[in-house]
Amino acid sequence: MWFFEYYDLIRILTISDLRVKYQSSVLGFLWSLLNPFLMLLVLYVVFSGLYNQSSTDFILYLFVGITSYRFFSNGTSASVQSIVSKANLVTKIYIPRKILVFSIMLSGLISAMLEFLILFALLIIFMAPITFNYLLFPVITLVYFGIVYGIALALGALYVFYRDLNQIWEVVISIGFFLSPIIYPVTVIPEHLLKYYMLNPITIIMQMYRDILLYGISPSLLTFGYAVCAAIIILAIGATIFSRLEWRFAEEI
Amino acid sequence: MGFIRCSPLDHPEPEWQSEETAISVHNLTKKFKIPKQRSLTAFDRLSAYVRRHPSLYEEFFALRDINFRVEHGEALGIIGPNGSGKSTLLKLIAGVLSPNLGCVSVQGKVAPFLELGVGFEPELSSRENIYLYGAIIGIPRREIDRRYWDILDFSELRRFEYLKLRNFSSGMYARLAFSIAIQADSDILLLDEVLAVGDEPFQRKCMEKIEELRRAGRTTLYVSHNLESVKAMCNRCILLQEGQIVSIGSPDDVIDRYHKGMELPPESGEQKPEQSDSFEKIINF
Repeated sequence: MWFFEYYDLIRILTISDLRVKYQSSVLGFLWSLLNPFLMLLVLYVVFSGLYNQSSTDFILYLFVGITSYRFFSNGTSASVQSIVSKANLVTKIYIPRKILVFSIMLSGLISAMLEFLILFALLIIFMAPITFNYLLFPVITLVYFGIVYGIALALGALYVFYRDLNQIWEVVISIGFFLSPIIYPVTVIPEHLLKYYMLNPITIIMQMYRDILLYGISPSLLTFGYAVCAAIIILAIGATIFSRLEWRFAEEI
Repeated sequence: MGFIRCSPLDHPEPEWQSEETAISVHNLTKKFKIPKQRSLTAFDRLSAYVRRHPSLYEEFFALRDINFRVEHGEALGIIGPNGSGKSTLLKLIAGVLSPNLGCVSVQGKVAPFLELGVGFEPELSSRENIYLYGAIIGIPRREIDRRYWDILDFSELRRFEYLKLRNFSSGMYARLAFSIAIQADSDILLLDEVLAVGDEPFQRKCMEKIEELRRAGRTTLYVSHNLESVKAMCNRCILLQEGQIVSIGSPDDVIDRYHKGMELPPESGEQKPEQSDSFEKIINF
């Protein structure tokens, strides 16, 4: 399998991407955390007045939403250029090209987990109920990784042919921010729209994270099953688009 | 090990594959679509579609109906003028490009490099680049650990173990790349003008190394404009012109033919200059 055969290369590419992101320093990592913190602060100040929420609950609610959405938004937008930015490794040598997307996604996952570590610290500080449901965290994260990786494969391949895709994708990410329950509770969605609203797999993932981390309940089997199915379908579509386009990468870049 | 890569229209035919053949190339055709603009956006494609203006591309045949076989342990030279399809042919055999028609079948492990030093990171030291490049061309980490000093000694760059690559001269760059590349345990070596850099003693050392690998049973495909080195290294040679095989046989005969061809251009040798120009751009990019 390509993962084991190219394990060394995946490791090196992932580490070098992380190095670039954090400028090889601990301080670089702290700077990168400033962004979500500022976002959290602004959103908290604006919306806590609006909803009259009790403060600690709302701050944790926001933080789960922001952190989990950032994995999606950072991961997919980094993957858009993952093939094109490594043109040399596509046109002058043969390696399975999905390695390029995969290593970018791994680096995104590691960054996201570092941000989740901050969340865990906050959970302990605010004394949220820590239960066995926490054991579901890696499972949900794996499903989420599948969804994001599937989208990333499609984006990385399509960008080779459509060079304005990054602009289009930025718009999609901004729209997605408001279509997911990050700054508002799901209860504000009108009853007759709710069933369409809950089709968004990222919404489902976000709600499952909140269930296990904030409320100490396990998600229903139906919800979890839906997320797994969505991940498999998205991954299959992404992988199909990728393999259909892969043979022309070297001529188009 | 090995692989067969066919165009979507072809199916591999078992009769032309055999264990003795390292590489079989069968009815191979490669066509490039050259965009009239530098890069295409979704907007360009949409507007071309709406205006019913379909020709965003020019077509260019880089290779037409190529057939040949290479036995295990052979050293095949590939010569021809610029833009005749030599590099395209190697890229098809390496798996970087896929054919539009026909099949390429390879028995054994191909060293996946055409140009040396692809993926070198100028901001890293020689030491880190040895591991990076090793990972790219598929040498396991343990193997690099074991052969680390062989690599540095062969390149004669032991003193510069911790120097960043951006401070290297192009000759040192090529030395390091070649020294790592020969450590890949591949059955088939594809060499595209790789010896053009480096001073004469090092070139001679490289030739000896390649000769040694060839005698050990490795198959070599060697693209070069240095016809003397082709004569010295290869037991067979192909002359490509405008994407077609003009001549195949012993290096002396084929090189003679090439020299005659250069004095008297063949009748069919009229080519549209703008096409070959844009083709060169693609290759050089």
